[in-house]
Amino acid sequence: MAQNKTNLTRAVIVLALASVFFITLDVSDSSTTSRVRQVFDTIFYPVENVSRVITRPVSSAWKSFRNYDDVVAENDRLKEQIALQEGAAVAAAASVRLSQELLALNGLPTLAGINSVTAQVIGETPTNFSQTIEINQGSDSGIKVGMPVLNAAGLIGKVTEVFNNRALVMLISDPDYALSVKVVTKSNRTPVTLPPLITEDAPTVDTVLDTTDTSTTSSTSTTTTTILGFTPSATTVPADVVASAGSNITIPLLSQLAVRETGILEGRGPGTRPIVRFLDATTRAGAIEVGAPIVSAGGSRSLAPPDVVIGVVSRVVERLGTAGPLLEIELVADLSNLSFLRVLLYQPITESGR
Amino acid sequence: MLDRLLIIVASRWFRLVLVVLFVLSLQTTLFSEVRPWGYSIQLMAIFVSVAGAVHDVRTAAIVGLVTGLMYDAVLATPLGVSGLVLGAVGAATALALQPLRDPTWWLRILVISVAAALSEFLLPFTTALIGLGGWLEVRVLAAMAVTFAGALILAAPLIPITRWTLREKVLLDR
Repeated sequence: MAQNKTNLTRAVIVLALASVFFITLDVSDSSTTSRVRQVFDTIFYPVENVSRVITRPVSSAWKSFRNYDDVVAENDRLKEQIALQEGAAVAAAASVRLSQELLALNGLPTLAGINSVTAQVIGETPTNFSQTIEINQGSDSGIKVGMPVLNAAGLIGKVTEVFNNRALVMLISDPDYALSVKVVTKSNRTPVTLPPLITEDAPTVDTVLDTTDTSTTSSTSTTTTTILGFTPSATTVPADVVASAGSNITIPLLSQLAVRETGILEGRGPGTRPIVRFLDATTRAGAIEVGAPIVSAGGSRSLAPPDVVIGVVSRVVERLGTAGPLLEIELVADLSNLSFLRVLLYQPITESGR
Repeated sequence: MLDRLLIIVASRWFRLVLVVLFVLSLQTTLFSEVRPWGYSIQLMAIFVSVAGAVHDVRTAAIVGLVTGLMYDAVLATPLGVSGLVLGAVGAATALALQPLRDPTWWLRILVISVAAALSEFLLPFTTALIGLGGWLEVRVLAAMAVTFAGALILAAPLIPITRWTLREKVLLDR
């Protein structure tokens, strides 16, 4: 009996020391803990799948009991929203197309040039103290640690653990998540308005997109380009973007384009909106308005490529001294209702080798 | 060699690992989706507390450490944090019931529920101690309340399962 107690005490000490050892390794980003997790996942994955199949009726019953009224209300609201947005979507698609063409012509990176993998959410975090989800694609599909994850609306997080055919995604609302972002603000200065063009032919989109990579034979000729993956074509542009002949042309000067302030976005847990802290304390807080779009900043050390939509400013918190303003962000993606996601096959330099 | 293997397979610790795998699979599937008021019931913590209520301090601590390490392997938290927390919770439950010679069933369930709820405070607290803060907020109280309520319901069916899992083999023929 006494021998048994001694053995148990030894086991407790060994396990406790092992826990402390593993914490030390994990906090210092050792690959050993990743391997331990992968080995455990190989054993656990079949058991979890069986449990998922068995418990699905219970969880489905719970969801239908809990969410029925919300789903019906949401369905009505969405139908109304779709009707409202159908018209705006056509104009927006044209603007996006035009923007991508301009970026491509200038050799700037766009999301269209980054391959992606579509994945489905198969599980939520089992704990109350992390904001992670599980997706059904892993290293077999080319997914690596650090890759940004999007849904149809915008950025939702980054990959933190990768297994053969599944991966864990840390959501943007997790307090451990941080990303460099830029806030696109409006300029207060009025644009310059030029008198009507005195020309025989009205300018086309192709002349607007004229760069050194293109060869334009006349103001109405076709355009060719050498940029891979880009095929110029006729583009429908909203009437107010390209003025027709005889009307005034509004040209924003470089100094009058949207102001971009750079900061760091930090998650603050579920139910709390993420915030943006500015690196530059002298940021023009007054120029930032509620509703200003927040997009990823990009850059060689950023966790995401540039211009991935994240959200809009919902509140500007002024702070005293040199602390700079604080922005509360309303995410465009609904993190409580994720289903199909897109993993961009873009691994940041800071996460390479993991 | 085979005899030794059979002894290991027949031991209660091997049985514990198998049962914890099953409990963990319930935690990551059913209990991660069934979230009363948005909070997940921590079945793993309840299981460890039950082990503390029906066994001695050392056994409960081992159950907690093993369960926590296995839980950490599927979480994004540092490996070992849940191990330490659940080890402490198991030992605390056993210690709380130790002075009582024969506790009533409701007192046992109450202690299990309190200990399981305590784990919901200890986890963010320990995480903050190792420098990964951000979770020690008021919402911890709500998470504790949900796990407390869940334990009141789930502790009773878990008691016989835990007893069977940790039952030592009695060799009457020796």
